Amino acid sequence: MAKPPASSSSSPDRLELLQGTLDMLILRTLVFGPAHGHQVAAHIQRTSAEVLQVEHGSLYPALHRLERKGWIAASWETAKDRNRQFKYYRLTAAGRRQLVAEESKWQQLAAAIARVMGTAS
Amino acid sequence: MSVREAVARWRGWLARRRDREQDLERELRAHLDLEAEEREAAGASPEEARQAALRVLGSPVLVKERVRESWGWTWLDRLQQDLRLALRQLRRSPGFTAAAIVTLALGLGANTAIFTLINRVLLSPLPVSRPSELYSLGDNRNCCVATGIQDNFTLVSSTVYEQLRDHTPEFSQLAAFESQVNLYSFRRSGAAAAPEPARGEFVSGNYFAMFGVRPAAGRLLAAADDRAGAPPAAVMSYRCWAERYARDPAVVGRSFALEGLPVTVVGVAPPGFFGDTLRTDPPDLWLPTAAELQLHGEASLRRHPEEFWLYVVGRLRPGMRPAPVAAHIATQVRQWLFAHAAPTARERAEIARMGVELHPAAGGVGLLRDTYGAGLGVLMAVSGLLLLIGCANVANLLLARATAARQQTAVRVALGAGRGRLIRQTLTEGVLLALLGGAAGLAVALAATRLMLALAFRGAGYVPIDPNPSLPALAFGFALALLTGVVFSATPAWLASRVHPAEPLRGAGRSTREGAALPQRSLLVVQAALSLVLLVGAGLLRESLGRLENQRFGFETRNRLMLDVDLTLGDSTPERLRALYQALTRRLTRIPGVASASLALYSPFEGVNWSDAICIEGIPGRIPARDNERAPSIDRVSPHYFETVGTRLLRGRAIDERDTPASHHVAVINETFARKYFPNRDPLGRHMGLGSDPRHATDYEIVGIVEDAKYTNARVPAWATEFIPLLQDQVYDEPVMINMQTRSNVVRSIQLRLAGPLDVQAAVRHALAEIDPDASVLGAVSFDERVRRAFNADRLIARLTELYGLLALVLASVGLYGVTAYTVARRTAEIGIRVALGAAPWNVVLMVLRGALAPIALGLAIGIPAALAAGWALASRLFGVEPYEPHIFLVALLALAGAAFAAAVVPALRTTVIDPIRALRAE
Repeated sequence: MAKPPASSSSSPDRLELLQGTLDMLILRTLVFGPAHGHQVAAHIQRTSAEVLQVEHGSLYPALHRLERKGWIAASWETAKDRNRQFKYYRLTAAGRRQLVAEESKWQQLAAAIARVMGTAS
Repeated sequence: MSVREAVARWRGWLARRRDREQDLERELRAHLDLEAEEREAAGASPEEARQAALRVLGSPVLVKERVRESWGWTWLDRLQQDLRLALRQLRRSPGFTAAAIVTLALGLGANTAIFTLINRVLLSPLPVSRPSELYSLGDNRNCCVATGIQDNFTLVSSTVYEQLRDHTPEFSQLAAFESQVNLYSFRRSGAAAAPEPARGEFVSGNYFAMFGVRPAAGRLLAAADDRAGAPPAAVMSYRCWAERYARDPAVVGRSFALEGLPVTVVGVAPPGFFGDTLRTDPPDLWLPTAAELQLHGEASLRRHPEEFWLYVVGRLRPGMRPAPVAAHIATQVRQWLFAHAAPTARERAEIARMGVELHPAAGGVGLLRDTYGAGLGVLMAVSGLLLLIGCANVANLLLARATAARQQTAVRVALGAGRGRLIRQTLTEGVLLALLGGAAGLAVALAATRLMLALAFRGAGYVPIDPNPSLPALAFGFALALLTGVVFSATPAWLASRVHPAEPLRGAGRSTREGAALPQRSLLVVQAALSLVLLVGAGLLRESLGRLENQRFGFETRNRLMLDVDLTLGDSTPERLRALYQALTRRLTRIPGVASASLALYSPFEGVNWSDAICIEGIPGRIPARDNERAPSIDRVSPHYFETVGTRLLRGRAIDERDTPASHHVAVINETFARKYFPNRDPLGRHMGLGSDPRHATDYEIVGIVEDAKYTNARVPAWATEFIPLLQDQVYDEPVMINMQTRSNVVRSIQLRLAGPLDVQAAVRHALAEIDPDASVLGAVSFDERVRRAFNADRLIARLTELYGLLALVLASVGLYGVTAYTVARRTAEIGIRVALGAAPWNVVLMVLRGALAPIALGLAIGIPAALAAGWALASRLFGVEPYEPHIFLVALLALAGAAFAAAVVPALRTTVIDPIRALRAE
């Protein structure tokens, strides 16, 4: 298919996101306060020490999906540092509950995988 | 939800959708701007920064698409987009769009028109209340008067009807009505108004109550009107009331003269009610059978319990099943026949075997149904073929365009358009085209239905069939258009989905194998095959019609005028009739331009036949010996009858002035009669008589033999017929025979042989009025026209099939031309190279022709067995033509091949003017 690669320079030390984890990461990012799409992507990249690569092309569908589910809400606001409006997303109460659920699920999963990998090596 | 609310909701939804789109657009732009700014700050040039930002985001089209998916409701959204895009595509190529819409309009219009007729004629119930409760006795539609035993019990006498009505409680109402509609002279009593012919049908008193219809004015008939001696009442049809009397309320209650019998119009039937049978020229008047008693006096059919002249239709009570009710009726009928018909042992066995059935009569007792049912089936098949050919054409046009748009499609794929989306897009375009074609086809259907009715019912005054498509017909047209759209856009859609993004960009239109792709060739094959089937079918039907119309009928139709008259025979004693008939023929012969004139009980193709048992001197028993054999036909004619209708005398003498009531009684027979009943003997000088009583076997001496003439059915050989002079009567014991003889002396038909193509109608009316002031001409038509009308159904089918065949030829030629021209255009560069390398121009032309004509040749080869099969299916409709008639196949093949060559040669010759240098530079 003709889906172009998200980044022209996918270096070997950058990892593509696991299926389904992007939603959790977005929710997690918004815990620190409202952010627009670009900020969310930058934040994930930065906090993962540039290891996790967020496809910008997947980011916006995910944001809109979460908004539709009611876990985040959006509004147009003027950025503090620029004289320009961005669409800011913030976490809703439902979103917070969802984040807790996903985090615990993730930890169980991570622990399970670690155990499997630990015994194997 | 009201329509207004729905529209408001839809509008609101559209507005929200628009806001969201703008919102998304703005969000993505902000993202890209920010990304670019950051990269610029990091040292990239503004242009590089912009490009990099786009690269990181990916195709904005695709991102938007995926975001939209997360919104839900996307199919509506997509449909709207697809429709908008499809409309844009269609607007961009108006020539293609117009050609496709016209093609589809013809195909869909033809089908909708035929379906409209099928729906109206075959499927629609009578316009009465709860028609599904109606059942009719028997399905033997033998007209018009019979005696007791019928293989399928259908006709009843007044007495049998009354018995059934009173003793079959399973019916809530059981009505009876005359099996035919007759013309009567009709005028206002007292007034000096000229009589006008009116169609009348005698019905039982509960006829309207059984149908459950309400009067438009006055009242309908009641049981009291049908008692013997009741003052004659009549119900007028709404149409007659509206057209002749301008809905004058004073008509109700007024007295009229029906052939001299005073009748009172008591009411008007509801609009749209045409009686028990869908027929051309339905009754203007419904009269109780009691009026028949008064009108015909001694000759009345109602008077005689053995005269079976009525059909029976009843309304079954809810919950009743027809089979047990039929069994109950069978018991009553058999008992009655055993008791009253004094049957012989053999007849008793026949009565016991006689079928008595009830048939659903929701649609009436079908007449048009019987005449046109099979023909409409043929037309539906033929117009279906035309639509298929049209579909192939449009598919080919779409394919050609899709191939031309390969680069565009490839770019769209490269930009991230999904395959499913591409398929949907092409389908949307196809269905949109088909729906536009269907809408235009509606106009075609409106015109076509009217044309078909005019062709089918040539000579009819009024046809109670609404030519406008009914709701089912509209639904049929719409569904057909949808299906058509899917059918013809399926191949292009499938091909579009297989475009590889890089391929057309690479090939740049220079590949040689890209002549006409396989699907396009296949469609040409299909078109050629179907067109051959249509053309052969058209040829067969045309040939058959020609042979039907131009056969030797056994009479001459040129320069002859046939009159249907009512001589108001209040006084019908033989003496008066003789004087009247003599005066009449003498007076008619004196009209300038009239070469000869004659009178008869009936003449050829009048729609009348009288068949009865006879007995022949020297042959024991009655004729026919078995009941399932056709009884010979009998006609009563005046002197000069044979020369007037142009039937040749073969031996002996014709009936002439010597044959008076007092003279020796004679008969003239036709060839078939002679062959059938006198196989080894000379019939001249032998004797025969009417009825099965052997004492009458010597009544009439056979004095002449005339050639066979077809009187009723042009497709079968003439029936054995004997002609006896008017008024040469016998003395019979049986009342049925007496009654029949009286009725057979009443002339309803006058024949005139003219010296040339003259119009003598006015003079004839004048002469008739001179002889009998009360006489009226109910109808006058040339013999040519009368015979031509007998082939209305065949003509309709032949002409329409010819028209469709011609259209198919045009469509196939246009299709081939389009594909070839397109191929040549695509291959310009390749041909340029060939020419540059030294190919002879003629070789190039031949190459193109070969490529174009190969699929046609294959199609024709496939078409031949298909056309044979079609011809075989048509065989029962063909007259004098074999379904494999070689010259018809040859002509059809040559026509198609010629048209195909003409369509291919023009674009092929265009290759000779290709300039290699310019062709190569063009790309």
